[in-house]
Amino acid sequence: MSDDTLFQSRRAFLQALPAITAGVALPMNTASAAEGKHHWAMLVDVRKCIGCQACTVSCIMENAVPENSFRTIVSTYTVTQEVDGKTVAGTYVLPRLCNHCDNPPCVPVCPVNATFKRDDGIVVVDGYRCVGCAYCVQACPYDARFINHDTGKADKCTFCAHRVDAGLLPACVETCVGGARIFGDLNDPKGELRRRLDAAKEADAIKVLKPESGARPNVFYIGLDPRFQGRVEGQGALWRPSEHGA
Amino acid sequence: MTINTRRKILAAGGLIAFSAGFSATAERMLKPLLGRDKSKSQYHGASLEPEFNIDPATGTLKVNPAQQVSYTMCLGCTTLCGVRVRIDRASGKVLRVAGNPYSPLSTEPHLPMKASIRDSFVAISGFQDKGLAGRSTACGRGNAVLEQMDSPFRVLRPMKRVGPRNSGRWEPIPFEQLIRELTEGGDLFGEGPVEGLKALRDLATPIDPQRPELGPKVNQVALITSVNDGRLAFGKRFMQQAYGTLNFVGHGSYCGGAYRSGSGALFGDMKKMPHGKPDFANTEFALFIGTAPANAGNPFKRQGALLAQGRTEGKLNYVVVDPVLTNADNMAVGERGRWIPIKPGTDGALVMGMMRWLFANQRYDANYLAHPNMTVAKAAGEPSWSNATHLVVVEPGHPRQGRFLRGSDLGLVLAEEERYKENDPFVVLNAEDKTVFHDKATMSAQLFVGGVVEAGGQPLQVKSSLQLLREQAFLHSPDEYAAACGIPAQTIAALAKEFSSHGKRAAAVAHGGMMAGNGFYNAYGVVTLNALIGNLNWKGGLSMNGGGFKDAGAGPRYNLESFPGMIEKPAGMPLGRNAPYEKTAEFAAKKAAGKAYPAQAPWFPNAPGLATEWLTGAANGYPYGIKALFLWSANPVYGIPGVRAQVEKDLMDPKKIPLIVSIDPLINESNAFADYIVPDSLLYESWGWASAWGAVPTKASTARWPVVEPKAEKLADGQAIGMETFFIALARAMALPGFGPGAIADMEGNTYPLERPEDWYLRGGANIAWLGKEPVADASDEDILLSGVERLRPLLERTLKPEEVRKVAFILARGGRYQPAKETYSEDNPEWMTHRYDNGLQIYNENLGAAKNSITGKRFTGCATWTEPVFADGTPMRTLYPEADWPLQLVSFKSALQNSYSIAASRLRGIHPENPVLMHPADAARFGLESGDAAVIRTPGGSVRSRVIVHAGVMPGVLAVEHGFGHKELGARAHRIGEARQPEVPAIGAGVNLNDLGLADPTRQGKSVWVDAVSGTSVRNGLPATVARA
Repeated sequence: MSDDTLFQSRRAFLQALPAITAGVALPMNTASAAEGKHHWAMLVDVRKCIGCQACTVSCIMENAVPENSFRTIVSTYTVTQEVDGKTVAGTYVLPRLCNHCDNPPCVPVCPVNATFKRDDGIVVVDGYRCVGCAYCVQACPYDARFINHDTGKADKCTFCAHRVDAGLLPACVETCVGGARIFGDLNDPKGELRRRLDAAKEADAIKVLKPESGARPNVFYIGLDPRFQGRVEGQGALWRPSEHGA
Repeated sequence: MTINTRRKILAAGGLIAFSAGFSATAERMLKPLLGRDKSKSQYHGASLEPEFNIDPATGTLKVNPAQQVSYTMCLGCTTLCGVRVRIDRASGKVLRVAGNPYSPLSTEPHLPMKASIRDSFVAISGFQDKGLAGRSTACGRGNAVLEQMDSPFRVLRPMKRVGPRNSGRWEPIPFEQLIRELTEGGDLFGEGPVEGLKALRDLATPIDPQRPELGPKVNQVALITSVNDGRLAFGKRFMQQAYGTLNFVGHGSYCGGAYRSGSGALFGDMKKMPHGKPDFANTEFALFIGTAPANAGNPFKRQGALLAQGRTEGKLNYVVVDPVLTNADNMAVGERGRWIPIKPGTDGALVMGMMRWLFANQRYDANYLAHPNMTVAKAAGEPSWSNATHLVVVEPGHPRQGRFLRGSDLGLVLAEEERYKENDPFVVLNAEDKTVFHDKATMSAQLFVGGVVEAGGQPLQVKSSLQLLREQAFLHSPDEYAAACGIPAQTIAALAKEFSSHGKRAAAVAHGGMMAGNGFYNAYGVVTLNALIGNLNWKGGLSMNGGGFKDAGAGPRYNLESFPGMIEKPAGMPLGRNAPYEKTAEFAAKKAAGKAYPAQAPWFPNAPGLATEWLTGAANGYPYGIKALFLWSANPVYGIPGVRAQVEKDLMDPKKIPLIVSIDPLINESNAFADYIVPDSLLYESWGWASAWGAVPTKASTARWPVVEPKAEKLADGQAIGMETFFIALARAMALPGFGPGAIADMEGNTYPLERPEDWYLRGGANIAWLGKEPVADASDEDILLSGVERLRPLLERTLKPEEVRKVAFILARGGRYQPAKETYSEDNPEWMTHRYDNGLQIYNENLGAAKNSITGKRFTGCATWTEPVFADGTPMRTLYPEADWPLQLVSFKSALQNSYSIAASRLRGIHPENPVLMHPADAARFGLESGDAAVIRTPGGSVRSRVIVHAGVMPGVLAVEHGFGHKELGARAHRIGEARQPEVPAIGAGVNLNDLGLADPTRQGKSVWVDAVSGTSVRNGLPATVARA
């Protein structure tokens, strides 16, 4: 782009971003918590996300997610910056879901051992055991769990384990319009997920949400703005999910 | 600058903490003990059973026999994507919708047709990551609208109103009664006699003997529909070719028509209005003005996917110029995408400012523009050309003023009827200052001509098209343009520089944001930018849609285009007055009286059919009244800004429009006024053949076929009531040609019946199968079984010739016929598109430049220009509604989720339940408002109460209203049908509808809405407004 004044504000804004520290753990380099043949994970390339919520709705339809709850959603932010006395606005989008952590804080708090990590890395809830106490809901650093109004059970993203077990893709991945969501097996070095992760890792471009939580999540992001890595407080604006969820 | 606190960040929804209380926990804990736990599955809750199982090692597919997976078409918006629909076989319930991998509207690149259905299922799976590379998607709305199939608000039986119009009470009536009452008429409502369709089909008697140009009385029967959803040809066959009315119109004039008209001016066809899109995959710089790919638009998904790909892994940089920040912006891609806010309705100032810079800095493509015809262009390696060098007569008062100089003006001998037609060449000036006929020119001509030529022995002042455009560009200074549009002059210059820095690999387009009181010229200006860099038909430049394979053509298997007894060309003047005023008796009489202008109301000779003008025109009886109005999947009362306030009383009055009949699966704001509503098929129950609206460079014909059983009431012969069965029955009752036994002929002259929908759509499918380089292949038994086409096999075998059955099944199984993606670029030249537009681009459009405004009598400018928003008599909007009184301007924008008919889908409302009006922080401070405040927004056309949200992503001075909310119907009001009352769902009525704030035109007589003077299109961007705390 030419160096006219037109775009200086955006550039200045980007240059002012804090340098990304190298302290972010890359869990795929650590010993896998999944002991099985597969270790399912997701990579979200935020640059490709168009915030269309196709993932959100497909998840609802596939998984009969009750009204006003979400297993996944794309948080949409309007970011404003003061630059040279002018307010510059931009859109930032962030798909969210259960991070299927290697050290899932939701598991140890369950009083009835209903929630656990499968040997392929997917964290699930045993609906027969769950008593709906919601301890796990509180323990999740990603606000990814909720109590399903219809079943009274803890509910959350399962990576569409029922589809993955059938050789299919999670609903949100299948229908991701921008192609932002990549799903695959961390144990398959030739698979698309690992190829993209490995390439991005070279460029130090992989990040996770709340790395400091120690949960060692398996949802990785490219293009994750560090300001959104933690919890974002703010007032609801354009998108206003009517209750709660991922 | 510092990034200090989180308070700088406005979280627009997004992360919402779990907040429900824990009081219910005890009861939940007891549920399993009480046996109330209905969990279907230990780990997967109520998730759906998978439709397939794919062996991860071998890719072997096993289908779930309890489900059917079929490829058909989505009707969730006007993009009409190819989708795959999962159905529970036992209940017939649609479970989920995703993309069709054969469809370029859902998949990039799309699967070749030769892939079997089995292969297509594996292609979307996790096997070898195939489903990532060939991801085939449905959007949020496309995922959600299946809910409408089981909507409690569906119209499933013919209904007749009870009591006055719009009272929300209906009586179901038998189909036979419906047909009898509509065709015969009578005292249908105890309000006096109503003329039936038989009597109204008067093809001989003029509407007004004093004004014979209006045509016969049959024109007083009129139909408004929305888009070609794949059934338009059937509707036209009934209304126009068989019944014989001229008046059949779509929704374009209150959708994005201003853009289409502006584009049509450049492309030289203001009725069909061709338009292009950036060739996203190879465009290096795209300028989107009043349109936001990845946020909304058509095709929504395809543009979104290509934009995401281009900005991330390709070479695409883009700028979106719009009063509202959208999801076209994504801060994660840094400088690849940018948003530039602009004042509403001032895009023309921006683009004319850019043109001024391009002219001043010689950054237009002079070599390209100098080619006077296609042959010279091609010899120079260009795949398109323009009329930049063609000479225009500018002699004041000359009868040819505003028209191109033609060969016959310079003495070329032509039969009189051929003068000024296709064979009468244009004239250019060559390098030796000699006039040359454009078609005889063998080399480049002069670009900037302003002088005198000798014509018929007389000197005649002429100018070249490009000269005229340059003069328009230089009418204002850079600072004047900047002040008008609110974008700094250096930014305008930077945009012009950037746009002209990528050779052919840049493009500028617009769309719905053009709907302003000067929308036509703004749009003409945007698209003219493309001509100045000569990017049309180039890889990476402006590319044309590939079109489709025509189902309702004259062959190659069946003639669906014409039939014996057909009304060849309905005669008369259209209700929307999209015709020259100068051809009316009114003009002749006024001219004879010494004052030809103004006309009683504006005429629009350079516009297509205009639904915007129909209802007010009918109310005024000008040009004539409507006796019977059909509303087919149309909702003009919701969609036309300002029209409800103008014509609500007229619609209530059966004396104004004696008969209103709607064909629709739902009750909307318009057909709530109907006398009768006839149910129509919905979504996946329905038939149709549709091509893409734009941005698909290869040929694409998407098939829609009933993948589930229609829910509407069935006739005695088992056919479900819908548009087709209704028109077939009306035709039979009136003995119209073109329907019934023997109505369809094949190429040998054998005839076949048109008595059922499949008689039409399956034969249309046969036509599609035999078009192209060679007919499609035969479907295998497995294709037919796996795709669910098996359920249509009896219809296929009963309707088609044996050799056609498997070919049509091949297309239905794949959800359409699609040209291979690898044929996007030309075989002859890989830098050119395969599908190209060959006519010259009209830098100057003589149909425009020679036309006069029917109110002022002044000539229109024949090329792009900057003009502020005006009313019909040329008065600027701000003269009548000054900023001092109306300090703000309203604009409309769309989200990715809602359109004008999706609000009843509860899962969309769950994500985004209402549309609070956006206002800039500076305006919020000025008017003392905070986010969440209730406010009254007022325009000269009305007022609404709305919540406001303070939002940095809007232009100061603008109130932005998201489209799709503020419904009064579609479930917002519970109607009583017979003894049954529909449920109450107040949430469907949430939010506000900007169109309820639209303006009348204070300079017009009678009822009116504010429309653009050239294109006749609605004005919804730039409505003067005030806001105050409620």
